[in-house]
Amino acid sequence: MNQSPEILVVDDNPADITLVRESLAETVYQSHVHCTSDANHALEYLQRQGKYRTTVRPDLVLLDLNLAERNGHKVLSLMKSDAELRQIPVVAFSSSASVADITRSYEAGANCYVTKPADLKRFFSAVRAIEEFWFGYAVLPRRESNERPSYTNSAD
Amino acid sequence: MATVAASKPENKLRLLLLEEKGAGQDPMVWEMDYDGQTLPGDPRHSPEKLHEWLAAKKIGPAESHPHAEAQMARQLEELARSNRELEQFASIASHDLREPLRMVATYTQLLAERYRGKLDKSADQYIDYAADGALRMQALVQDLLALSRVNSGNQPHQAVDGNVVMAEVLRDLEPAIRESNAVVQCAKLPVIRTNRANLWQLFQNLVSNAIKFHGQEAPNVSIKAVPAGPLWQFSIIDNGIGIARESHETIFGVFQRLHTRAEYPGNGVGLAICRKVVETYGGTIWVDSQLGSGSTFNFTLPAQEAQES
Repeated sequence: MNQSPEILVVDDNPADITLVRESLAETVYQSHVHCTSDANHALEYLQRQGKYRTTVRPDLVLLDLNLAERNGHKVLSLMKSDAELRQIPVVAFSSSASVADITRSYEAGANCYVTKPADLKRFFSAVRAIEEFWFGYAVLPRRESNERPSYTNSAD
Repeated sequence: MATVAASKPENKLRLLLLEEKGAGQDPMVWEMDYDGQTLPGDPRHSPEKLHEWLAAKKIGPAESHPHAEAQMARQLEELARSNRELEQFASIASHDLREPLRMVATYTQLLAERYRGKLDKSADQYIDYAADGALRMQALVQDLLALSRVNSGNQPHQAVDGNVVMAEVLRDLEPAIRESNAVVQCAKLPVIRTNRANLWQLFQNLVSNAIKFHGQEAPNVSIKAVPAGPLWQFSIIDNGIGIARESHETIFGVFQRLHTRAEYPGNGVGLAICRKVVETYGGTIWVDSQLGSGSTFNFTLPAQEAQES
């Protein structure tokens, strides 16, 4: 992939967002990490509406399912019922290890489910492994060339 | 001390929640006391089981006091409800503690990684203490969660072949067995009526303890089971460091440890889990041991045919 991967992180815990950014700060992929902290912003970002009109559609979504009011699941099901957005792989990234949450995520179309490790080194290696897998091994749908406007660093 | 008043004053029948019963006791023990007789146990005794116990002791509330039984039934129902709440509380508390704890643990680790040697020596030390404490608390919460999950209500009782489960446990313990040059011998075990995951926890904790708590000699562990009426009595016999008589009861309490973590690692939850499993299926667990001359952990579980209903 000759352009940097675009990753959207949806998480309402700033501490976890920081950890994800730290994890990916110095990898060879030089991913652009964008963050939103609630479901509505995530959906606006994905549909490039409102203040996200100039953003690039992400290649991968790292989605915390435990957003307020369980809205992570809402984002997941809306993405997977949209003809275009469903092409974007969604990694459910959650602190829950409950079988019910895991099953529900796969049923809703999550491409994989990773429990946030409680140990720093494992957290870093989990996030890097996700990046390595999706951008080093997996083949993703080709991004249209006109979908790459000037890169804006939106982080909110 | 909170008292749950399943009391028939005439007979001095009481159910007590002992919040603190002296040093080293499990802090949450339900006891039924009838004229000095005690039903040892914990919150999972069902009203039915308590009734059975009363009947066996020929304490029949109905004959002499028509109102007493209704009152006691109500109070036992109350007790069962409060027990369910207690179980839920433990589970919810440990679930909800995990998330903030993960923040503390990861960020103290990040501090340690980024700032080691950049502050001063004391700062490095403080960060290490904090990181170590958070890690230990994570392990404790994990263990509490495991303890709160032992609950017969959630798990079907089924016929379980002790030999199959023990073989699994020994396979999992293979590294520890090899590392300590342990010899583990296991006689033929029966099929019993329990739950596979619970039996695994029970075997795993007892056999790994038998291997872990060894002295100068390499561990020598033997496992057997003999019929005892409608039950089977299992014994796990080791040649380890042994346990002083005064600790024979307390070791089954939550977070009870007889040694420092440096001597023998662990949180002191394993035997509490064992006791909870055994008592959930109506059995008992106890230890025969002397300091310095090995331990035998015994427990009973119902035979396969015992409780078909």
